Amino acid sequence: MAQKPNQRGATRESIKATKHNWPTRTSFSPSKYFRQHQTTLTESFMRLVHYPLASVMTVMVIAIALSLPGGLYVLLKNVQSVTDQWEQQSVITLYLFPNLEDTQALALSHRLSAQADIASVEYISKEEGLRYFERSSGYEQIMSALPENPLPIVLRVIPRQTVDITTLSSLQALRNQLAAQKEVEYAELDAQWLQRLANILSFGQRFVYALSVLLVVAVLLIVGNTIRMAVESRRDEVLVMKLVGATDAYIRRPFLYMGFWFGVLGGFFASLCILVLSWWVSAPAERLIDLYQSGFQLQTFNADEIILCLTISAFIGVFGAWIAVNRHIATIELQ
Amino acid sequence: MEIEFQRVGKKYESGQEALSQVSFHLQQGEMAFLTGHSGAGKSTLMKLMMMIERQTSGQILVDGVDLRTLSRRAIPHHRRRVGVVFQNHQLLLDRSVFHNVALPLLVSGADPQQIAKRVRAALDKVGLLDKEKYYPMALSGGEQQRVGIARAVVNKPQLLLADEPTGNLDPKLSAEIMNLFQEFNRVGVTVLVASHDLALVARMRHRVLTLNQGRMVNDGGFG
Repeated sequence: MAQKPNQRGATRESIKATKHNWPTRTSFSPSKYFRQHQTTLTESFMRLVHYPLASVMTVMVIAIALSLPGGLYVLLKNVQSVTDQWEQQSVITLYLFPNLEDTQALALSHRLSAQADIASVEYISKEEGLRYFERSSGYEQIMSALPENPLPIVLRVIPRQTVDITTLSSLQALRNQLAAQKEVEYAELDAQWLQRLANILSFGQRFVYALSVLLVVAVLLIVGNTIRMAVESRRDEVLVMKLVGATDAYIRRPFLYMGFWFGVLGGFFASLCILVLSWWVSAPAERLIDLYQSGFQLQTFNADEIILCLTISAFIGVFGAWIAVNRHIATIELQ
Repeated sequence: MEIEFQRVGKKYESGQEALSQVSFHLQQGEMAFLTGHSGAGKSTLMKLMMMIERQTSGQILVDGVDLRTLSRRAIPHHRRRVGVVFQNHQLLLDRSVFHNVALPLLVSGADPQQIAKRVRAALDKVGLLDKEKYYPMALSGGEQQRVGIARAVVNKPQLLLADEPTGNLDPKLSAEIMNLFQEFNRVGVTVLVASHDLALVARMRHRVLTLNQGRMVNDGGFG
């Protein structure tokens, strides 16, 4: 080997240009690569199975840590969907004087619908009001016991503006203007309640985000520590593998897969926890919802969210393992 | 594989000088012994060839390539071309004999059928074909050492390094082990065996390199 002009080239060349026929870095083949990964994937899983107690404990700690933000997310999602529905129904309800004639009420209704800042006006006669009340409140017997219909004519005024923080004051002005009408006994704007809810909700959202970040960091630490101990317990093996020519990537791989399994299994059990929990609370929650409004469906983790949860947890697992392995394998050197 | 040391020195950070001005040339297919008292630098010399450590001065040429020019990433690929046998055999106790021997092949990503074939061939050479399912602890010291040798040769290395391979074996087993090395040498593998068993070395009738306090004091002869 006399080639010297290009030292680096000569070096690589000399590694390739030998009589042996076993694979080196230069002979990359996809099938070999995938076979190696597949083997490592199963082997690292079998290793977890080999130490069932320790593995189950780690997986459950991860699952519990993940199910907390996951559960809060589901809760938030439900509250949000409830408030979304309320937002659509956000109206100014006008209770007219009980002694008002139908014609006067209709005239008011027409006058109001012509107003520029009002989208529509729904006229609810005394009879309709009674039927609606009977149907939704379960007070049929009491209502039928009354000598006459005590309900006033109600106008449901839907403003053009949707309710949010910026439009609240102008909606309140509209409410005051409507309340000042001589036919109106009382005007109610439900936006204020919505406003409070929105504030509570955004507070809740931030709370869930902060908690999620904390718990993700906790999971990273748990995985990192578990992998660090795994590397330490396989110190001799790492040394022997380095001795027989294992690349750093090869040595790292089983530990990364271990982190992957911890993450995926943790995410799986977290999803399971959330599904079981939401099933458990669904019966009382649906009864509660029925009392307020119909048509609302209690939401739980759907397939997309389960997949997202598994993906995120797998990523956290691999990332935690990666940090631990990189920090740790470098300290294990042949000497 | 051809090895050339040119005035190689190794000085540890503690100031201790393990090797100084060591020069020798090992031809392709040659077999040689490396002797000297413990602490003379035999192991250090082996470690330099494995790139477990780097020399602090001089040049080491392997097939004409200066090892200093190899990057960190190239080290594993260099090691795959070298088989090593250590006194404390370094077998994995929780793996079967088969798996231990297969390790260098697994690491380099050989395909499974190839692995089984090669492992059995290597075990056959060291006479342990019937012990592949055993765990190292169930084997005798001599058998464990032979598993180590099978692992060292399973990859068909071009250079075989052995550091005190007969350290704690009785004379008869030692002779058997040495004969194994000789057989590998006969098929073209360059072999370097470090040993302080001078009587055994003398009987083998090969070139002898002698280290004393990090210096090469004798090159040639039969010890």
